[in-house]
Amino acid sequence: MSAYATQRHSPASFSSPASTTLFRRLTWEGTVPLEIRVDSKELPANSNRGLEVYFIQAARVTYLPLLIPEIKRFLLDVVFDEDAARLLKEEDWWFESEEGNLLKWHWPVGLIYDNHTTLLSSQSGASSSAKSAAAVPLRLILHLASPPTDKLLLSPSAESCKQAFMGQLKEADFIRWGNTKRMTGLRKQEQDGIWEGIKEHNFDDYWRVASKVTPTTTPGRPSSPPVQSATSTLHARPPSADPQGAPDRDGAYVVRSVPVRLYLPEGPVIQDLAPPLLEDGSPNTLSDFLSLHLPLLFPAPSSSTQAPRNLAYALIQGVLAPPEAELAWLGACMSGADGWVNICIGLLREPGGR
Amino acid sequence: MALTGSPDTNAQHVPSWAGGEPADNLAEGLQALETYKKKDPVKVIVRFKAVGNAPIMKQNFFKVTVSNRFQAVIQFLRKELGWKAGEPLFTYINLAFSPAPDDTVSNLYRSFATDGHLIVNYSTTAAWG
Repeated sequence: MSAYATQRHSPASFSSPASTTLFRRLTWEGTVPLEIRVDSKELPANSNRGLEVYFIQAARVTYLPLLIPEIKRFLLDVVFDEDAARLLKEEDWWFESEEGNLLKWHWPVGLIYDNHTTLLSSQSGASSSAKSAAAVPLRLILHLASPPTDKLLLSPSAESCKQAFMGQLKEADFIRWGNTKRMTGLRKQEQDGIWEGIKEHNFDDYWRVASKVTPTTTPGRPSSPPVQSATSTLHARPPSADPQGAPDRDGAYVVRSVPVRLYLPEGPVIQDLAPPLLEDGSPNTLSDFLSLHLPLLFPAPSSSTQAPRNLAYALIQGVLAPPEAELAWLGACMSGADGWVNICIGLLREPGGR
Repeated sequence: MALTGSPDTNAQHVPSWAGGEPADNLAEGLQALETYKKKDPVKVIVRFKAVGNAPIMKQNFFKVTVSNRFQAVIQFLRKELGWKAGEPLFTYINLAFSPAPDDTVSNLYRSFATDGHLIVNYSTTAAWG
């Protein structure tokens, strides 16, 4: 992205304290190990058997369709002969987990990995702890033919993945502000730039644009002048849901709701409004949110049970998230590149307190 | 708790944490997961609104079971419109964004319902792209 290379410092630092930039950087740089194996029944004749496994340390924020060019290059260089290569049609490719679960094109790779980790926690005999699973590659089976299109929902092209990604960014924008003015205010070049940032895994390119739509984490203080002027020209009318005259109308604690989804091991995925503050004005914490939506797994504290026993844990970007984490902060610092805080729920084997 | 119709039926609310064995912990957790997995039979009103030169529907209010995925709503809409496979149809919520096709009506309704309706806009060309 040489067009953007004139600015030396990270764009995320324009509007945010150093710790915010640090956590955004850590989230962005997170990777997961994948072991990709072509389904042995589908390997073309004369393939170089024994070499059909490929390992990738993939960025959490990337998507499976974006890994296909690299996998294809490996298969053509090492595994397939020329005849097989000629017949290869990557639009027929699809992935399954080792256990036979279909992997979705439009889920970030980090979410696929975490969801698999928590799935293991709910199966007897499997290793339960999120920690012990941390360094284990996720084994994927690559199929070369007969994609179950009705279940995959999208074609494996980078273009349809981009459309789905932009849709998620807009939905997150709507959740936060009750409209999508921040997203639609982006120029075409900026919208393309944010996707290029994902494709090239370039933190600065991504955050140069993402900082215009992601809330800041400076409660009570106005954001720095460059961002303030940029956003006010983009949005002539202030969103009606925002309190008028708020000190920072892009702040994480003044959003209508934080884009959050809960992923249970075998479904469902639960999405609901998650206001940054509770009615009494205190921050809405992860613990509050989990007790509200999953009280059987995260019982709410009450006078009779002073130390409620959690039956489950919450994994965000591969990290065991502390119950006191504030949803507003998670939304500003630990969300995925599509703006969503994905919380994967796994079962605890040992009783867990808070 | 709008997640399931009757979340309390199988739940063990007895605070057994004092003498909980690891096996009990897992069994209780699995039971909770089963409860959350049950499909919610509740129906909500989905209202379809044409955008641009998309054909208008005579009847545009439908009761939809919330456990349906948005993909099922799209397929239903295509059938109602008599759309052939391959004919382009773009769908949006609140004139603003296209949800993921695997998101449920339940989730979309909770987050985006307007006056008790989930408003789905449809267009023959890409809008708000």
